[in-house]
Amino acid sequence: MIEQRSAESPALAFREVSSGYRGREVLHGVSFSIAEGEFVSLIGPNGCGKSTLLKTAAALVRPSSGSVLVYGRDVRQLRHAERASLVGVVPQKLESPMSFSVGELVMNGRTSAMGLFGRPGPEDEDIVERAMIYTDVLDLRDRYFMELSGGEQQRVALAMVLAQEPRIVMLDESIAHLDINHRQEVLQILMNLNRDRQMTVVLVSHDLTLSAQISDRLLLLHAGRLAASGTPGEVLRPELLSRIYQCDLQVHKDPWNGELQVTGDLSLLRHRKPQGKRVHVIAGGGSGIELYRRLLLEGYSVSTGVLNRLDSDAEAARALDLEVVLEQPFSAVSEARCRDASTLVESSVAVVVAEVPFGSGNLINLSLAEESLRQGKPVFLAAGTGSRDYTEGLAAERKTDELVARGARIWSSVHELIPLLQQSLQ
Amino acid sequence: MLGPSGIGLPDMSQPAGASIMALRFGRMLMGLFVGAALSASGVVFQALLRNPLAEPYVLGVSGGAGLGATVSILAGTSLAMPLSLPVTAFVSAVLTLMTVYGIASQGSGGSPSVYSLILSGVIVSAICSSLIMFLVSTASVEGLHNVIWWMLGNLQPVSLQQQLFSSSLVLCGIAGIWLLASRFNAMTLGREMAHYQGINAGAVILAGLLLATLLAATAVSMAGMIGFVGLIVPHVMRAMFGPDHRRLVPLASLGGGAFLVLCDALARTVLAPVEIPVGVVTALAGGPFFLLILQRRMKQAWN
Repeated sequence: MIEQRSAESPALAFREVSSGYRGREVLHGVSFSIAEGEFVSLIGPNGCGKSTLLKTAAALVRPSSGSVLVYGRDVRQLRHAERASLVGVVPQKLESPMSFSVGELVMNGRTSAMGLFGRPGPEDEDIVERAMIYTDVLDLRDRYFMELSGGEQQRVALAMVLAQEPRIVMLDESIAHLDINHRQEVLQILMNLNRDRQMTVVLVSHDLTLSAQISDRLLLLHAGRLAASGTPGEVLRPELLSRIYQCDLQVHKDPWNGELQVTGDLSLLRHRKPQGKRVHVIAGGGSGIELYRRLLLEGYSVSTGVLNRLDSDAEAARALDLEVVLEQPFSAVSEARCRDASTLVESSVAVVVAEVPFGSGNLINLSLAEESLRQGKPVFLAAGTGSRDYTEGLAAERKTDELVARGARIWSSVHELIPLLQQSLQ
Repeated sequence: MLGPSGIGLPDMSQPAGASIMALRFGRMLMGLFVGAALSASGVVFQALLRNPLAEPYVLGVSGGAGLGATVSILAGTSLAMPLSLPVTAFVSAVLTLMTVYGIASQGSGGSPSVYSLILSGVIVSAICSSLIMFLVSTASVEGLHNVIWWMLGNLQPVSLQQQLFSSSLVLCGIAGIWLLASRFNAMTLGREMAHYQGINAGAVILAGLLLATLLAATAVSMAGMIGFVGLIVPHVMRAMFGPDHRRLVPLASLGGGAFLVLCDALARTVLAPVEIPVGVVTALAGGPFFLLILQRRMKQAWN
């Protein structure tokens, strides 16, 4: 019967699904489908919605729009027991506060199938035993679950989910924290299930190299949207990954087996010397913190100002020990402070303007950027000044347009800014 | 347990002996039902809240039942209509539970976390006991005596009508909980995991809390505020027979009943003819004994 169904409809399909938690939407219109027997990895940076996607697929989170179909049927319309016989979820970590033995715990997988009045029969015992043999936990049967090692616990959790006899198994970063030997073991079990029993596997993972090795297909999630879907070769493109993960990533082909490997370029970093160059940042209201951090990481020294005391950027600058020019709290930047700042600009190699909102109080800071251009040093403006312009007659936007006309460049993400900065300083 | 003013069986050939026997038999039944109800209710709270400190008192259920019962006693309705006491106790316990659940669910999308449940339960419970104190302090001397005596907890048989009604409630409650036992096993792994296992977690929590409230409220209406049984008997039974609720529910019920009957026998005989409130004995006599067991076998109950 399952074969029949699978011929018509995919094992799991998302149709324009938006979902999330009260007051906070995490997934925005995600669509994809997974065929029966596929091994799919779900990848993406932290907080991109991988876990929410899993919870939505298992009907724990209700989609605010769109629908989730399991073998062609809306997952929210399935009865609880029926859903458990189709979809099993292995959590990141299984916690059993009471001292259940492994055998008792795995039997939980049969609970919904037994019904309210049912007691485990010989058939249930067989299924549980099979699941425990498959995951190699049979000899742990009488041990207490919580005294097992992490790898053993994960195998027991998998056994419990397999005892549901689901057609789709989803794992929520369940193997991320395991030692390499345990990880290999769990992965091997999954791949066997996938190959021998045509079980569909959806693995949430943040190990890109591993995902590429074991998956038929990768789904790359970014900020609640599907950024890419395809074979590992199609998805693991350095420019795509670098943009989504906001750092430099390389993709190599292993010379021996042709498998893809994703690496961050730490060897370059290790040999990176302090640049001995200072960059001046015009920020305020928290817009500078990420810039300070990244510029310092890249080996620049950083000065900033003019900022008001008590501003979150001023606090950050003090914590990071940056050179900074400060104005009294909640007051407009004065000419005198601006002159102090322009001496900082003189000794800097470039000026970066953060995504700071401009008002009449801090408009004068843009004259520092003008100063820098006059001295023949590059200026980098955050895109979209107009949307943050609270000055009368949009003076800040006119000013930035003027600066662009005189050679200032626009950046829209820190990841984009760093290479721009490096190029112009070479 | 069934003995005369001393210990041993009363002389059944005399009418006095027979009525003593009947009185004590009734009292033993009271102890059995009350103890079983408290203990089974504790099992449910501990499973659903996944917390070893959970018991009927923690979610304010006993406090609410106590408040309802106090009002009923002071208003005198409990004398006029014998069933009004258990009914008021249950209704006010359910109202308390709904309040606690409602407060705890605020801002969490309809499914309260364990911590917010326990916290709001403790607060509501404190409010209930303050209200009871207030009512007691403004009551007449006679009412005061009645309420205090009832609050200390005693297993003096209530009217036959109330006994029949209450004990059938207790039996139904325990049967319902036993039916849900395998679901409680799954619920100890947390609400999410239980959902993944194909269990309607919301319904199990609701049904479990209602049944446990029914049991606790019935016990309170029968015998007043008897502490300790609902907390400690489930722990000890779990330590002795493991946490599988299919075994634990009947065993804890029997254990709770037997424990309370024993404590009552002690309460009557130790300082005879003065009777000690049974609530005092449960903790005084049971405490050290259970500590000993738990210290040896805690590992088999909780991690």
